[in-house]
Amino acid sequence: MTVRRGAVGAPAPRVEGLAKVTGSAAYAYDRPVADPVYACPVQATIARGRVVAIDGGAAAGVEGVLAVVTHREAARLADTADAELAVLQSDAVAFRGQFVGVVLAETPEAARQAAGLVRVEYDEEPHDTELRADRAGLYTPEQVNGGFAPDTDEGDVDAAMEAAAVTVDRIYTTPMLFNNPMEPHTSVAVWGDGGDEGGGGPGEARLTLYDSTQGAHVVRSTLARVFGLPPERVRVISPYVGGGFGSKGMPHAHNVLAGLAAMAVPGRPVKLALTRQQMFSLAGHRTPTIQRVRLGAGADGRLTAVAHEVVEHTSALKEFAEQTAVGARMMYAAPNRRTAHRLAALDVPVPSWMRAPGEAPGFFGLEVAMDELAQACGLDPVELRARNEPEVDPESGRPWSGRHLVRCLREGAARFGWEERAAVPGTRRAGRELVGLGVAASTYPYYRFPGSRAVVGYDGSGRYTVRIGAADIGTGAWTVLTQIAADALECPLGAVRVEIGDSELPPATVAGGSSGTASWGSAIVAACHAFRGAYGTEPPPGAEAGADMPRDPDAERFAMHSFGAQFAEVRVDADTGEIRVPRMLGVFSAGRIVNPRTARSQFIGGMTMGLSMALHERGVLDHRTGHVVNHDFAEYHIATHADVVDVDAVWLEEEDAHAGPLGARGIGEIGIVGAPAAIANAVHNATGVRVRDLPITPDLLLR
Amino acid sequence: MEFLRPATWAEALAAKADLPEAAPIQGGTDMMVELNFDVHRPAALLDLNRVAELTRWTAEADGRLRIGAGVPYARLIAELGDRLPGLAQAARTVGSPQIRNRGTVGGNLGAASPAGDSHPALLAGDAVIEVESAARGVRMIPADEFYLGVKRNTLLPDELIRAFWMSPASGPQYFSKVGTRNAMVIAVCSFAIALHPGERRVGAAIGSAAPTPRRARAAEEFLAAELDWDAPLEPAVLRRFGELATEAASPIDDVRGTAGYRRHAIGVMARRTLTWAWNDLRAGRTERRAG
Ligand SMILES: Cc1cc2nc3c(=O)[nH]c(=O)nc-3n(C[C@H](O)[C@H](O)[C@H](O)COP(=O)(O)OP(=O)(O)OC[C@H]3O[C@@H](n4cnc5c(N)ncnc54)[C@H](O)[C@@H]3O)c2cc1C
Repeated sequence: MTVRRGAVGAPAPRVEGLAKVTGSAAYAYDRPVADPVYACPVQATIARGRVVAIDGGAAAGVEGVLAVVTHREAARLADTADAELAVLQSDAVAFRGQFVGVVLAETPEAARQAAGLVRVEYDEEPHDTELRADRAGLYTPEQVNGGFAPDTDEGDVDAAMEAAAVTVDRIYTTPMLFNNPMEPHTSVAVWGDGGDEGGGGPGEARLTLYDSTQGAHVVRSTLARVFGLPPERVRVISPYVGGGFGSKGMPHAHNVLAGLAAMAVPGRPVKLALTRQQMFSLAGHRTPTIQRVRLGAGADGRLTAVAHEVVEHTSALKEFAEQTAVGARMMYAAPNRRTAHRLAALDVPVPSWMRAPGEAPGFFGLEVAMDELAQACGLDPVELRARNEPEVDPESGRPWSGRHLVRCLREGAARFGWEERAAVPGTRRAGRELVGLGVAASTYPYYRFPGSRAVVGYDGSGRYTVRIGAADIGTGAWTVLTQIAADALECPLGAVRVEIGDSELPPATVAGGSSGTASWGSAIVAACHAFRGAYGTEPPPGAEAGADMPRDPDAERFAMHSFGAQFAEVRVDADTGEIRVPRMLGVFSAGRIVNPRTARSQFIGGMTMGLSMALHERGVLDHRTGHVVNHDFAEYHIATHADVVDVDAVWLEEEDAHAGPLGARGIGEIGIVGAPAAIANAVHNATGVRVRDLPITPDLLLR
Repeated sequence: MEFLRPATWAEALAAKADLPEAAPIQGGTDMMVELNFDVHRPAALLDLNRVAELTRWTAEADGRLRIGAGVPYARLIAELGDRLPGLAQAARTVGSPQIRNRGTVGGNLGAASPAGDSHPALLAGDAVIEVESAARGVRMIPADEFYLGVKRNTLLPDELIRAFWMSPASGPQYFSKVGTRNAMVIAVCSFAIALHPGERRVGAAIGSAAPTPRRARAAEEFLAAELDWDAPLEPAVLRRFGELATEAASPIDDVRGTAGYRRHAIGVMARRTLTWAWNDLRAGRTERRAG
């Protein structure tokens, strides 16, 4: 069953746009609360060891300071199974920057000043932060992020490599990367009792959190567990979120710290906002990766072997295994295939989701290797990919729900002027610049997570309310869900009001895995149909009906992925090696596009992040101290407006008949996948220099 | 922390004499970052923003321009871009529009970062820094003698920077900067050149490639001796100039770039800016002859 077309497919402007640009949209920290207390964390200055003494005396003496909370004073948490969230529960320090205390004061200034006066003595232990492929202690995780097996092995890669007419066997690396949403991670926590805001009886502790999160419900369920409360007595409110990119996809230590801090001043709201610098150790990051990619092919470019073996890090405190090689399992046809993930558990902050975990770094290695193979075979890179298009998913053997990679590549080549690409690298020049074009393929899986429910209500005056505890982190979800509901109810857009961003609303899965529109949207479609089924087109005032996200039988029968082709033009100053990217084009196949305006922003936003990953972003960890030394925007460079010239995204007009009632596969992450490889490949085409380690900087291009 | 707000230059000098450890603040684009990152905690801040003289510039009787330390980059570009093209080019590469609205050459001099963008242009253009103290009055310090070390200058504790003096360009001037992105970027290295055709002399200076910004003296002397001002630029002269400019550098490896890259890029920028300037000079001559 598909929904009627009308609002869906139209470039509706953001429903919350006016509130955001006029500043009336209250983000978590802006939320007016009575009589707030301000929290400033104290962070560990060693990478590993124990706190042996803390002197909060000078801090407590600062005017306006209400409390200094350390592991000695902090309340005991009910559940410390998640070590990242076991905040202030012991004297152990597992990474530099970890919370060792928090100061509470009447003003942010007093809190910060006092936090600087807390004296902490440590018993320092030797730490280990350096990732190398040849280091001792690498291990195989039980599974990698997404629940995938860490290793796969089919056929005989070594024999196939031995026999192949053409081979590529190279190491590619990506650095430690950091999510930097514009809005930092903020939490405003207030403890009350049931008397305050309903739910629970008087005297029953109740926690309300105004939070900047990608999932109010997951924050609620997690914090309820950590603080030992029934979920009904935790409420998380998060209507507006200034970006997340995965870093707000799960609760992090600051959420718990805000809750613990607020226990010290019962009844008063505690405001906590991480600074940009603090985010570098506390908001998750992308692991550095060391990727060995091996490709074996016949002289005609047909792959006989694909191997993608990755070494990366996790935190000794808590495991997060980025699924870097998973994309290589389904991308190209080859009878012999191997993937592997090995981890080093280091004394580093806890890594986590960052836009397209797995595919984003993995497709740098894989797609640069494909470019190297094209070069070795004397084939056009578009043609090489077309020759290796698998009929069915090589991993599962299932048919594709819709794989249009070759169409994306050909369409992009035509639009981008691919025929102008010099066949011989380093031979096209414009003035003092070397000009190159590059291409890379991208993909991202279709995810639809169970667990969302939507409820539709009618107020009697022609207006419908659709309630679902989903999140709009700048993606356009607010608008897109309104469009979906309007079409499913067969009413005008203006007749629907969507409510999201509150755990009091029906449950919804996290805004992650590019799954929001498909998951929440199909719950909304089901709820709207249930509503019309129960009440018809003339519902009585107060009518209400809800539905859970329906199961998706096709998900077990088909291999479902979005695909894309990324093109980049680069210009490299022949004498200084300075790199400019005047043009990027992405052509995507992502099923139905619900809102071209907000979708375009997702695609070009992802591509811009990919450009930034290609040329700028690199966390520099000082292994002597365990400290990310460039932990601010002065030194951790992100592309500026002046670096982003013409980034364009288009998509195939299509509908994935197997992707739920909307036929839409998800668009939030695919834009970053392949973009760095397209740029690296264009740099090679321009200069003849093959850069296999990101970021690509001018000094690497001078020979 | 005390916050002093003198209304006049005399008051500012008096305040600085009374409390030499007070840190002046003009645009605040360096100072506020340092305070925010807790790099240091001065005993007092001496806010110069009410001192109107600092935000003025004048053309002096001797033909030079005297530019108040508090004139922001945006105004320097708009109001003096024609007379100080090298400095204006450098100013255009500073930070972002917001930073150029607040940041000043006075602050760049006060901070004395080896990577500060105004320095090479000041050096190549023979700028003189006017500093003053209540006790000893004015000192005029050639830019060349102003920088002492990484983030150190020759100011004494009771002195403030009043202005810098520069002659309007007597010939073509260029500034060139390599950065790892197109805006909001600290120079990996930079280079400035100023042709003084009347004196048959060339000013040249490097930035972000040594502990201080510095003149490329040997390169300047080489051009003064070897350049034939009435002929096209000889490739051998250009090459040697690039080499000597490179030799003026003593760069380090850091997150922004390697020492080797910096040396290379200084050579490129030296050759490039000299070529541009030379082409302008000859084109200008041709135009004049034609006109
Ligand atoms: C985002 C950002 C980007 C930047 N990009 C660049 C860039 O691209 N290139 C570049 O060169 N710089 C850059 N900077 C640094 C800064 O903007 C410049 O150094 C600017 O020139 C400082 O001027 P100000 O007036 O803001 O100085 P302030 O911050 O007010 O002062 C800087 C220093 O000078 C001292 N000082 C100020 N006025 C006087 C005076 N009259 N007498 C004595 N001492 C004085 C202060 O005490 C302080 O030590 C950037 C800064 C930021 C925040």
